[in-house]
Amino acid sequence: MVGSIILTLALALSIISMIMYFLNYRGYKNTLNYGRIAYHGMAMLVIIASVFLWYVILTHQYQYNYVYSYSNNALRNLGLLHLASSFWGGQEGSFMLWLLLTAIVGIILQSYASKRGDLEPRVMAVFALATSFLLIMVSPWFKNPFEYIWATPVFVKIEHINSQFFNLPFLQSFFFSDQSTNQGFIQINADLVSKLSQAGISLNQFITDGRGLNPQLLNFWMQIHPPMLFAGFAMATVPFAFAIAALMKNDYRDWVKQAFPWMLAGMGILGLGIMLGGYWAYEMLGWGGYWAWDPVENSSLIPWLVGVAGIHTLLVQKRSQKQGGIGKYAKTNLFLCILTFVLVLYSTFLTRSGVLGDASVHSFVDPGMIIYLFLVLFIATFLLLGLGMIIFRWKTLNENIVEEESILSRELALFTSMIVLIASAIIILVGTSAPIFGQSVDTIFYNEMHLPLAIIIMFLNGLSLLIKWGKTDTSELIKQSIISTVGAVLFTLILILFVGVSDLMIILLSLTTAFSLFVNLDIAIKIVRGNFKMLGAYVAHVGIALFILGVIGSAVYSEEVTVDLVKGKQASAFGYDLTFTEIYPIENNTKFAFNVDVKKGNSEYKVTPIMYRSDFNNSIVREPAILTLLTKDIYFSPLGYDEGGQTQNQHSHNHISLKKGDTTSFGGARITFIRFNMAAETMQLMSEGKDFQMGAVIEIEKDGKKIETELLRKQTDGKVEFTSFESKELNLKIGLENLSAGVIDIAFSTLDGTESQSPAVKTESNEVLSVTASIKPFVNLVWAGVAIMVVGFFVSMVRRLKESMIIS
Amino acid sequence: MKNKYIFGGVIIAVFLVLMGYLFTQSNIEYADDFAKVMTTQKTVKATGSWVKEKNYQVDNKNKTFSFFISDENGKEMKVIYEGTIPNNFESATSVVVTGKYQNGYFHAKDILTKCPSKYEEQKTSSSSL
Repeated sequence: MVGSIILTLALALSIISMIMYFLNYRGYKNTLNYGRIAYHGMAMLVIIASVFLWYVILTHQYQYNYVYSYSNNALRNLGLLHLASSFWGGQEGSFMLWLLLTAIVGIILQSYASKRGDLEPRVMAVFALATSFLLIMVSPWFKNPFEYIWATPVFVKIEHINSQFFNLPFLQSFFFSDQSTNQGFIQINADLVSKLSQAGISLNQFITDGRGLNPQLLNFWMQIHPPMLFAGFAMATVPFAFAIAALMKNDYRDWVKQAFPWMLAGMGILGLGIMLGGYWAYEMLGWGGYWAWDPVENSSLIPWLVGVAGIHTLLVQKRSQKQGGIGKYAKTNLFLCILTFVLVLYSTFLTRSGVLGDASVHSFVDPGMIIYLFLVLFIATFLLLGLGMIIFRWKTLNENIVEEESILSRELALFTSMIVLIASAIIILVGTSAPIFGQSVDTIFYNEMHLPLAIIIMFLNGLSLLIKWGKTDTSELIKQSIISTVGAVLFTLILILFVGVSDLMIILLSLTTAFSLFVNLDIAIKIVRGNFKMLGAYVAHVGIALFILGVIGSAVYSEEVTVDLVKGKQASAFGYDLTFTEIYPIENNTKFAFNVDVKKGNSEYKVTPIMYRSDFNNSIVREPAILTLLTKDIYFSPLGYDEGGQTQNQHSHNHISLKKGDTTSFGGARITFIRFNMAAETMQLMSEGKDFQMGAVIEIEKDGKKIETELLRKQTDGKVEFTSFESKELNLKIGLENLSAGVIDIAFSTLDGTESQSPAVKTESNEVLSVTASIKPFVNLVWAGVAIMVVGFFVSMVRRLKESMIIS
Repeated sequence: MKNKYIFGGVIIAVFLVLMGYLFTQSNIEYADDFAKVMTTQKTVKATGSWVKEKNYQVDNKNKTFSFFISDENGKEMKVIYEGTIPNNFESATSVVVTGKYQNGYFHAKDILTKCPSKYEEQKTSSSSL
């Protein structure tokens, strides 16, 4: 309740701020202060609401639907940071995070704008429009993180209910059980809540645990990736506000240098955020890559590409303003700044509206029609506002036609760079949006399209820095580029002759990338002594060139092999000797780590991939281990682990899941799962975390004889044990492997090792760990390249920030 | 101004044509009718539900993973995937497989699992992004 009230008040203040700022722009002098006060009040309320959300998460107040859905008690044991990251574990919270960061960016923007002429009322009016929309998004009518759990009836697992209330008589009518999984639920609705409060029980006492987070999100990179990404999203609002502000005033000179540092910082942070997501995927998901052209990844890359394209033409406009007038590419820049933010909104639409439900590995929750329509309205408002303003001012914008660029001018090179980046954005946009129309593209589409684009980008990346503003003397250009060109050709020849690169496109890409790298390094070294803050662009371009080299190495020349590691026995892959030495439980016996010794020559390393069964989604989670060397990573992704029996044979893989009443056969015996055997108090014991056992009764029929036996799942002190059945007469062993609601998993084997169905494969040792090992050459350059690029963005930002102070 | 339009125009035009061509080449359609999936030669994204009763088989020797899925009409088809069982397959009800139907099996290059649950409307947590 408190949270919802705070957010509703914040929405009111945001709208007031927008109106007051707008009135000030229209000439009402005394409304400026009201606008400022309302904005700061709104921002404070948003910060308070966020702190409150953290507070209810950290204090486990499960009466809030969001807290119940995305956190649990166990998260606290993993560390406070894990629990705190529940804040952005779900949709409502990630909108809240976006809003929080936008509100904070707005405080900085207000201070920035107030020092730059009459900028503040226009910029802040537009910015407050954006915060208003975000506040509507988290308001009680839409994706409110403070919604109580009974607002839309939720089924809460019986284990999450405080067992001391099980004897309440009215509870029976809220109890449900799922026949197929045998799982009990209590439906929490308004009716139950009122009955509970009559009995003097608060919901917070009643629900004692939550659902928790997907274990794959419990990772350091996942804790910093969303805040970074949303900070980039929040900062993308600023250039949009500047563009609209310029259109409002019908003055296109000053906004360029004012928006420039914001664009640089925003794109730097967004780029870092995108890459952190890629690093998380690489480190956590175990498929060995960092970019899968997944819609979620793509949709945040599109605004980044458009924003970076905008940086290049903003530079031209700023530079050409020296000759008077508003400068070149004024319309382009307005359009790109507007588009960057609109595409951030479109990104949200793609990932949050449920339109890509079938297309992404990220699971999407279908949020319902109202959210869908609201997101469409959100995008439409900002797109129409932006485009409408440009069309409205079209005449003035066209009055300032400046003279043509020469072919060898930096202006044209930068313009071409922008076009190529936009082409990349269009390609990704088309591919990512295709599922909306029931189509989809293979990743080949993106890869094949980007190879020629990357070649051009890298070529321009070098060339545009060699050629001069205005006009370039050809002979001087040749003289200047000779060292870099020769260096690039030599580098590529080495790749062809010694590394064996043979694909023409890859050769071309290596050539232009090396060219770009050498040109930028050359210039950077020349000026590093002169003026440190001029280095930004060169640093960023060196970064992107290193990144591309890393991509070539790690994506094109990656090798993969699957090996079965028998415990204690040496196997080899890529010239490394691998020995699986031991398996041991970690994190309170919830996970298993597998020690593998890696040896080559005198170097010895140890890697530990991890596997465990997660209660969250009842699946096996496999975490890769990465051995990072200077020139490559060796990536170990666990596939499976086989403990083996006394004799290892093909049939020990004979696992099957049976439902009640199912029959299966093995070695001439018919095996039927008859029923579960569960004592009445088991559920009570289970929910209290006490020791208990459950049994599965099975019937074995062979040669006319029937045997009935019970396999048990025993839980003592949190440890789970399964029993098995053996019969010498039948030459049969049946082991229970798992007993979950509704289904039992059992494994069959013969006792004497003979095989009845498939030939036995006897191995001497028992325990086998299967891993996929892959080699990722120069993957370090991918991370280093992005990090260097981001540093470049910030160095540039510092320089441009100083320039933005000068009012012409 | 002319150079600007020549450069920009040519690059955009070339890439639009290339994109159009590659799009039709790499285009994969969604299909939820298995009768059609079984007759077409093209790679499709078949969406259906996992037939839990028939379980799944892991063949460690050939490194394949196979299971059955059925469409809305109840038509079943066997899917073989060269690789390991996906991380959250056991809890999957709805499956999207990308590949081709050949020699009586659907050969999947890619498996995507969805895990809706009738009691837990919001169970599948969206990752924060």
